[in-house]
Amino acid sequence: MVSKRFVAKRLLLLGPVLFGVATVVFAILHLSPGDPAVVIAGERASQDFVEQIRSDLGLNDPLWQQYLRFLHDTVTLDFGQSYQVRQGSDVSEILADRLPITIELAVLGQIAGLLFGLPLGIISAVKKDTLTDHFSRIGALTGISVPIYWSGPLLILLFAQILGVLPTSGRIGSTYFIDSTTGFILVDTLLAGDMAAFQSAARHLLMPVLVLGIYSMAFISRMMRSSMLEVVRQDYMRTARAKGQGAKTTIMKHGLRNAFIPVITIIGIQFGSMLGGSVLTETVFEINGIGTLLVSAIHGSDYPVVQATVLVFAFMYTLVNLFVDITYSILDPRIDQ
Amino acid sequence: MSTETQSSTVERSPIERLRASPFLTELLSNRIAVIGLSLIVGMFLVAIYARFAYGLDAIVDTQFGENPTKVGPSSTFWFGTDGQARDIFPRVLYGAWYALKFGTATVVASTVLGITAGIVAAYYGDLTDNVIMRTMDVLLSFPSLLLALALVTIFPDSLGLWRAVIALTLVYTPRFARVVRGAALKVLEDEYIEATRALGATDPRLLVRHVLPNCLAPITVQSTLNYGLAIIDIAALSFLGFGAAPGDPSWGMMLSEGVEKGLFSGAWWWSFFPGLFLALTVLGFNLLGDGMRDALDPRMRDAVD
Repeated sequence: MVSKRFVAKRLLLLGPVLFGVATVVFAILHLSPGDPAVVIAGERASQDFVEQIRSDLGLNDPLWQQYLRFLHDTVTLDFGQSYQVRQGSDVSEILADRLPITIELAVLGQIAGLLFGLPLGIISAVKKDTLTDHFSRIGALTGISVPIYWSGPLLILLFAQILGVLPTSGRIGSTYFIDSTTGFILVDTLLAGDMAAFQSAARHLLMPVLVLGIYSMAFISRMMRSSMLEVVRQDYMRTARAKGQGAKTTIMKHGLRNAFIPVITIIGIQFGSMLGGSVLTETVFEINGIGTLLVSAIHGSDYPVVQATVLVFAFMYTLVNLFVDITYSILDPRIDQ
Repeated sequence: MSTETQSSTVERSPIERLRASPFLTELLSNRIAVIGLSLIVGMFLVAIYARFAYGLDAIVDTQFGENPTKVGPSSTFWFGTDGQARDIFPRVLYGAWYALKFGTATVVASTVLGITAGIVAAYYGDLTDNVIMRTMDVLLSFPSLLLALALVTIFPDSLGLWRAVIALTLVYTPRFARVVRGAALKVLEDEYIEATRALGATDPRLLVRHVLPNCLAPITVQSTLNYGLAIIDIAALSFLGFGAAPGDPSWGMMLSEGVEKGLFSGAWWWSFFPGLFLALTVLGFNLLGDGMRDALDPRMRDAVD
């Protein structure tokens, strides 16, 4: 049962949080030392020209007016035009091109993390304090400790350069031309019915997803382990065993379901590091998502792009967490109290 | 189970001295924590050695003419040399000094800010609590590395790695504030707080002498886990081009240069060794933090029969 009151409360909270997020982004950009007008006009432009651009952009208006205009633009998803990364293009257009790429990567990374992390955590808990447990715990902690910008290049070196079995970078082989319908390359190649292209895309995604997946696997298995250990101690587990149910059945039927609930919250928080990790992964594997977009926009002082990208990242993160909280409340109705 | 019985019989005498602190006993009998602690102590020793054994200028300067360029590990150059003919070994050791110095600054700053915000919010409640914690909520709505990336742009390049330290301090503070506020609220409910207040203790005295010491355990765990995160994030910012200057012996910068200019032209050692040391340091903090959490949570000890 979804508690309508809980969902309504969470939705109501969403407004102030998003408002706060937008305010922080506005503040950061206005504290930045660069002058947008100079960025657009170029270093050698005349003073008059720079002044002209400044008044066109409304940079001479009082701060509160600029702030209100910014809020209005954000709500109407009008992020202006890019100064530098793709000069003159609408930022929302650039984002529409690039956002699916990052979402695809982060979601697949999260799925990979769950596929490996959940079983690992369960095994670790069931075999607590055995060699298996120690190995999987240290393995998980190693997974979080190894930086993506080290493991990624090493994987490229091994699989692409030395063994030559996987492609180095990019999203698909250069011989394939796939129309972008959804923006998700795996979906688009399937829609085009081109299996060879699909395979190529999948092979390109393998290493980036693996690198991101290891990271989230580590967190998820750790959480699953401690949650499982917590559940095993509960009275209902003993009751089930006392009724004559086997150890395995008890764990599968009663343990898993209950242990999984707290892990769900971690998935939401974890998605934040998937997004942060995607910046690094995209940089390492030269993927044109919004992560690399943000980095090059910051380097090029492309303020409208920086602003929109950071907002989109924060909005995505907030929405995923909202979704996770609602799922949680469905699985565990006690949360409402 | 077996771990505890073993160590308490074998190593009784040194541990007995620490009997006064059950937390420390528990921590030392936790093998994972001990491995982590050894790694950290080792890295601190390396850092201090490098700081006093090598001159920073010599390590930063190119060494064309003195050394061959981009040669692999050998008995002369243990970790090989890089594209500027610099010996990588002392640079990697010096990197430990950089990582621990800037990592410590980040953790100390965010812990202090977080403790202050958390305790003040818990103690004064109402509007103060709401203003502080809602601000923290907003900061927590950003994926951490992305907020750090945006914040880094506010500060001038000349600050170098301190840019990363300031940005990450602001990013981590809310986590400490949340943990501390939760712990402080629990402490404030206790009767002895009421008693101390009745005896006439002033607000600051009450907070520093009574509330703070009782929140130390969760703060320590959070700080330890955040230590590793700070080091890895500072290096990540340098890798993306925000922080260390080219040539700096910071692991993030060496990784960035090594991957870009060396890895695929055969000079794998250029980025391999800085990355290895970075991973080992972070692993040390994560192992210790994980062990601490177990030691603090007695329920975790013997859950499965």
